[in-house]
Amino acid sequence: MPADSVLPPAESVATPEVLPPPEKHVGVGGAIHGAVPWIDKSGAVGGVFRAIRSLFGGMKITGGYLMRPSTVVTQQYPENRETLKLPDRFRAQLAFNHDDNGYHKCTLCRICEEACPNVSIIITGREKPAVSKKELDSFVWRLDSCTFCNTCVIVCPFNVLRFDGTFESSVYDRRLLSYTLNQYAGPVASVLEKLEDPEARKAAMEARDPYSGAAIIAALVEKQKATKIAERAAREAAKAARVAAKAAAAAAAAQPEAPPEAENVG
Amino acid sequence: MSVHVSTLQARISGESTASSPLSTEEYFVNMGPQHPSTHGVLRLVLRLDGETVREVVPVLGYIHRGIEKMGEHGNYRQFVHLVDRMDYLSALANNWAVTMVVEKAAKMETNDRIQAIRTLVCELQRIQSHQLWWGVFGMDLGAFTPFFYGLRDREQICDIFEKTIGARLTMNYIQPGGVMYDIHPDFVKDVKAFLTYFKSKMPEYDALMTENVIIQERLRGIGKLSAERAIALGATGPVLRASGVAHDLRKSEPYGLYSQVDFDVPVGTTGDCWDRYWVRMEEMRQSVRIVEQLIDNIPEGKTFLVKPAAKIKVPAGVHYSHVETARGVLGVLLVSNGKDAPYRIHCRTPNFNNLWCIGEMATGGRIGDLVATLSSIDIVVPDIDR
Repeated sequence: MPADSVLPPAESVATPEVLPPPEKHVGVGGAIHGAVPWIDKSGAVGGVFRAIRSLFGGMKITGGYLMRPSTVVTQQYPENRETLKLPDRFRAQLAFNHDDNGYHKCTLCRICEEACPNVSIIITGREKPAVSKKELDSFVWRLDSCTFCNTCVIVCPFNVLRFDGTFESSVYDRRLLSYTLNQYAGPVASVLEKLEDPEARKAAMEARDPYSGAAIIAALVEKQKATKIAERAAREAAKAARVAAKAAAAAAAAQPEAPPEAENVG
Repeated sequence: MSVHVSTLQARISGESTASSPLSTEEYFVNMGPQHPSTHGVLRLVLRLDGETVREVVPVLGYIHRGIEKMGEHGNYRQFVHLVDRMDYLSALANNWAVTMVVEKAAKMETNDRIQAIRTLVCELQRIQSHQLWWGVFGMDLGAFTPFFYGLRDREQICDIFEKTIGARLTMNYIQPGGVMYDIHPDFVKDVKAFLTYFKSKMPEYDALMTENVIIQERLRGIGKLSAERAIALGATGPVLRASGVAHDLRKSEPYGLYSQVDFDVPVGTTGDCWDRYWVRMEEMRQSVRIVEQLIDNIPEGKTFLVKPAAKIKVPAGVHYSHVETARGVLGVLLVSNGKDAPYRIHCRTPNFNNLWCIGEMATGGRIGDLVATLSSIDIVVPDIDR
């Protein structure tokens, strides 16, 4: 067999010295599960019957499942939402581990940020002179670019991150896929201080819930966009007013000379 | 890409090799890239003479993502999750290939528990990969029922993976230095329940497809590949073994705990579609045997021996390592310049070479058999393009 000369078998493989006769399957290394018999339907009448019987053998299985509704494995997904719990380790949504008081242990070491293969984690923070520790402003996780490789979770030395099984994360707006994971995320303190109403301050700091509305980042973007649109509308209105005033002035100036122009045209 | 097509078009003006006594004309058909039986974005340019296939030229590149190049921009740990996206049905074996070359080059230690878990999950994934192939193979041949049964049983393995690994497809579980998590407390119980279940379902698989006369008639003698040509084309995995070459890295270069378990390597004789079908069906049974031997004897020990965030420095040089995935030999060549990121990574993927056998198998056959032949190779297109 030329194959053996090209590819020498290892010692542990007991390659048959002679190729086995055709139409017979062999296993190497010992006894093997019995090969399925060929249905030779040429010639003999019995072969034809065996061929027909093989077709009914398959139909029997399908029919058997049809008769036994207990074997149905289909899950009625939107209806079984209450009972559908994915395993703890299922990688659906990155989340912070909070203790009972709502605090997390993130120290801004940025190991997860470095370990992330495609910059799906963006951490902003600053030095906190009072306690000589770093303070986390926002821990942004981008679901839209995350590959769910779980590296950030296993590299975290303080066990801050976890993946949980909250899998219904589809939204209509791509910007909503940027999550701020720490609980007190939002505008920086200098902005918060300007909000005098405590309720407004609280609302700006509230934790992001995937089902209760837009993310704070998205809300800020929306606000910025609305401001820009309003500014543009104001500019356009002013421009339109200027143009109208100019046109009116021009019309007022041109009015006495209108009759001779009309004559020229005629 | 354009080279192949222009070559083919040049042949139109050349001598026709049409064999019919009637004055027939050869013509070209593009099969894909959006064809349900090409299992992804693969395009086959067919030169046809009536219904006879004269030439098959695969055209690639539709799902090229530059995974090898992307690997140069991150460290070794960050490369592991990218290979999940190559052959997504053998994601764990892909992880293991990268992990093995890094561990071998950087001389990282492992223990028996890590190797046992790796072997176990890889064999489970081999079963689920073959289950999916079995279902899709049936669907390509026109039988829709096997698809449901194959995916129903595959779901059981996916559930086991969900519990232990946390993912169903892109695992990123086997890491340099260990495995990402220890096995779930329910793992052993679930796997045993699955084995009991699956062993009762194998006779159904046989009754539904293997013993079916239509399936047998459609596969027998179709798409033959000789052992010499299979080796010359670099085919590996079930495609090579179906042609009669007993080459399995799990036997010839045992890694993990494969040297401690008892299993057979199924080998075909003629290299036709039926042999490839039969080899994969038998491999599922052999994988069940491997899992059965290991599941009760998982040694104790730690599952991650280095700090997960520790930088891995690979000594400068060229390193190579390979594993046997569900489709064949996946080799990873690593060129290192001594830093913590690879200088160059190349993956020798099994599907690329296996696909190129289609020219050998399908030429001279009928166009109706081409689908069966292509499906019997069990290609995963993202693995070809990378």
